[in-house]
Amino acid sequence: MMFQISDVPRLLPELMLAVLALLVLGSDVLERWADDPAARRERGRAAAQLTGIGLGLIWLVTLVQGGLAFTIAPAGAAGPLDALLSLGRNLQAGGAERGALLGAFATDGITVMARLLLIGAALVVALLAGDHLPDAHPAEFFTLLLLATLGMCVMAAAQELIIAFVALECSSIALYVLAGYSARQPAAAEAGMKYLLFGVVSSAVLLYGMSLAYGVTASIGGADGGPPRVNTSFAAIAEAVRVADVAQRGAVMLAVTLMIAGVAYKLALVPFHSWAPDVYQGASPTVAAFLAAASKTAGVFLLVRVLTAAFPDVAGAAGANGFTGWAALLALLALSTLVLGNLAALPQDVTRRLLAYSSISHAGFLALALLPLGGAAPLRDAASAALLYYLVVALIGSLAAFGALAALQAAGVADRLEDLAGLRQRNPLLAAVLTIAIASMAGLPPLAGFTAKFAVFVGAWEAGAAWLVVIALVTTVIALAYYLRVLRPIWMQPADDRPTVSVAPVTAVTLALAALALIALGVLPGPLWQLAQAAVLAR
Amino acid sequence: MNQIGFPLVSLAIALPALGALLVWLTPASQTRVARGFAMLSALGALATAVALVARFDASQAGYQLVDSVAWVAAWGLSYTVSVDGISLWLVVLTTLLTPVSLMASWNAGGAHPRLQQALLLLLAGAMTGVFVAQDMLLFYVFFELTLVPTALLIGIWGGDDRRRAAQTFLVYTFAGSVVMLVGIVGLYQAHGVQTGIYTFDLATVLASLQLGAVQLPLETERMLFAAFLIAFAVKLPLWPFHSWLTTAHTAAPSSGVVDIAGMVIKIGAYGLIRFNVQLFPQAAAWAAPAIGVLAVIGVLYGGWIAFGQRDMKRILAFATVSHLGLIVLGIFALNPQGLSGALLQMISSGITTGALFLIVGMLAARRDSRDVQHFGGIWGQAPFLGSIALVMVLASIGLPGLSGFIGEFTIMLGAWISPVLGWTYVSIAVIGVVLAAAYLLRMFRLVFMGPPREAGAPLRDANTLESLMLGVLLVPTLVIGLYPNALLLMMEPSVQQIAQQIGQTLASR
Repeated sequence: MMFQISDVPRLLPELMLAVLALLVLGSDVLERWADDPAARRERGRAAAQLTGIGLGLIWLVTLVQGGLAFTIAPAGAAGPLDALLSLGRNLQAGGAERGALLGAFATDGITVMARLLLIGAALVVALLAGDHLPDAHPAEFFTLLLLATLGMCVMAAAQELIIAFVALECSSIALYVLAGYSARQPAAAEAGMKYLLFGVVSSAVLLYGMSLAYGVTASIGGADGGPPRVNTSFAAIAEAVRVADVAQRGAVMLAVTLMIAGVAYKLALVPFHSWAPDVYQGASPTVAAFLAAASKTAGVFLLVRVLTAAFPDVAGAAGANGFTGWAALLALLALSTLVLGNLAALPQDVTRRLLAYSSISHAGFLALALLPLGGAAPLRDAASAALLYYLVVALIGSLAAFGALAALQAAGVADRLEDLAGLRQRNPLLAAVLTIAIASMAGLPPLAGFTAKFAVFVGAWEAGAAWLVVIALVTTVIALAYYLRVLRPIWMQPADDRPTVSVAPVTAVTLALAALALIALGVLPGPLWQLAQAAVLAR
Repeated sequence: MNQIGFPLVSLAIALPALGALLVWLTPASQTRVARGFAMLSALGALATAVALVARFDASQAGYQLVDSVAWVAAWGLSYTVSVDGISLWLVVLTTLLTPVSLMASWNAGGAHPRLQQALLLLLAGAMTGVFVAQDMLLFYVFFELTLVPTALLIGIWGGDDRRRAAQTFLVYTFAGSVVMLVGIVGLYQAHGVQTGIYTFDLATVLASLQLGAVQLPLETERMLFAAFLIAFAVKLPLWPFHSWLTTAHTAAPSSGVVDIAGMVIKIGAYGLIRFNVQLFPQAAAWAAPAIGVLAVIGVLYGGWIAFGQRDMKRILAFATVSHLGLIVLGIFALNPQGLSGALLQMISSGITTGALFLIVGMLAARRDSRDVQHFGGIWGQAPFLGSIALVMVLASIGLPGLSGFIGEFTIMLGAWISPVLGWTYVSIAVIGVVLAAAYLLRMFRLVFMGPPREAGAPLRDANTLESLMLGVLLVPTLVIGLYPNALLLMMEPSVQQIAQQIGQTLASR
């Protein structure tokens, strides 16, 4: 196992992200031609546009290279598009290898899907942020956004403890800074500080779990009865876990528990959620959108990697077949998150805080979707596809909802629920986007949120966790009650003398596209489902 | 699986939805154009429904005029719509009430007329969808789709308490339908595990259950039955789940626009027949006595409370609870008489109670009150309204020769000879029918008869538009009353088939 030059294309999206980050940072020097407001605005726009264009390009490269959605036919008759086609062909040839790079970095379908999601989320956030620029240092803002995305992409591909941890820190440190970016606002500073403190502690917990897992490989003999294979790769850990006896399984479970707890903070699972409402409310709304959409998605991918690659043998069950292993842990986390997240959302009066709690409760669904991943092959694959499907839909939904709130804040609308009154008349587009996003989160058919939840329910039910499905369904009723508290002022209260709300064109188009995607994915779930299945099977 | 002839059934769903879109796209200043689009699409749907009746083969029991395309093949989810003897007349009822509700909306005026018409059309499309969907998940989708327009109609145009009522309505019925989703997933999963075919197709699931390809353990069958029952009992509503209905009717706009559209709340009763009785006959027979008791309580309770009300809309809302109790009694008689009586009564009470809601709306608009005590002796001023009201009241009470009689009579007959219910249920429920005569005639007497209670501006009789909408509803009231066979003939094979299945199941017990 050696790293070869021909392996470089397999890392193309990540490399491009790193280059783009440096490019955005470097080009900013050229933009510092004056210090009046117009020049400063121009500087910010330049950084935003460079980031947006670059991310769009990287997303396209990832899509073509991943080869999940389509494969370009081998060379045919020369046509006008042939140059473009052969570029695509070369890209796909470079990304076709699925095995893990150096046994440490997987470039399988899941990685491709993760890249598409995370880079896509960063793209949307960059587009939204163009109309909502930070007060100072715009280039650094976008550089940090890109670095966080880079870290997340690597995190989703990690097959080894050290890469996983370094990637996690790469994204986390960037996010700490982003959360407190508008440091002149006390709420943002508080958000950044809180996020940092919670984040550091959870990283320590995660690291402790990782070191225990590493220790396990050192103290348990190889599968063939030979000496222990001291290694940080997930494969080696899985091998050690497989031969571990009952007493050693205790240490294994401790490692799993600590690692899940460490990542649960990223996902804001109850009881590791208490930072989320304050941070989502205090940070700038675009950063909140990024946290709710991308950061959470990356955390889920990391859990998928760790649990399925390193600990498949202690998966256990959370239903009629017993209550053991990490499935049971996840079931408990899902239970507490669904119940407490939804109940805590009920009394909220601040829109973003309410959506933060709703986002927490959605993490409960993610935990529910992770449950069946320890099962047998056909069920596991269907459940993995359901998880990917849910991730896509949740990502678009969070971006649409938080993006709409960002647009509202940019237009000077305060953030309490009653400030939304009569939005139907003040800005029909934002009203429609917010309504569609929230109705999708509530799981009303025929929107994407319904199909996604449904797929997750079926997966969990098949895995024997029907009891948890029933509880999850009950909590969706609670959720509807607080979602209606957002929708009621929008549709049923008169605008009175509140001013109309104007939205910048780029934001309007981005949000409208996100809302349309939620409708389209709900009405026609087939294509995305096939994509998710292809991603799961491309190993 | 993919078969598309001329998609007549799909057209009945799509036309109102298309109309809603057109109305929404019409500029606000073009009131007449918007109205034209709305009415055209509603009449188009009605014409489609009539064509359905014409093309329907009354000698067959199964699903006819099927439109089916795979939706998500990987999940066994398909878009399958069709009609059978049970859904046919409910589609006709829906499409008949839509133009009437549109006219009521024009008549009442009010803010945002385009949005109101678009929502009414969306509601009509979704309701038609509920009645024709033959795929469980598709049914669920349409079932949920009916909620949003209804909640918005109540929440935007309703009375003082509208926002709370809209929220209560939405959360309450959503809670019910979520339980149904559990049932659907459970049935889907059981069918998939036992046959290896994961499908939501109702016909396939039904066939597997009847042929024994899928055998549900007793407890599982009862739990699935309960899951569906809860959803439909809330939707109906069956006593004691009725509180949202009376709140919603009271808070809904006075004009009766929404009430009449909501008359097709018969979705719940339809679901009971389609899912609970058809899929789980054994559990249905097991639960029938208990549900019968709830139904009888509903009949009596609704009638009793209606008797004490002064707000005319509340009288009618509680009358609805009472009627629905009788309908449920008919369904759980589990024999052909009970089932066809229930279907007939669903249609009849939809028309008569709907017409009464409209008349109340017209009176309320004239006097700005719905309190019976603010009226009295207005027959002299509004003889047309009075005579229609009298016909509808009598039809509701079940006077022979009008639509209510046949339904009530066959339900009573069915329940009496039913092996699972019996004469005790009937003899108590009949008190409710007497009560109905009492409270409806009381309302009629207080409003139309006696000396004029309030001197002042004389009360206008119905204008052309109002006469037209009431006339539209009067025709079926008379037709059903005089020649019920027109409807019964088409229901017969489907009803017989269901009853036969139940009979076999019960006999093999």
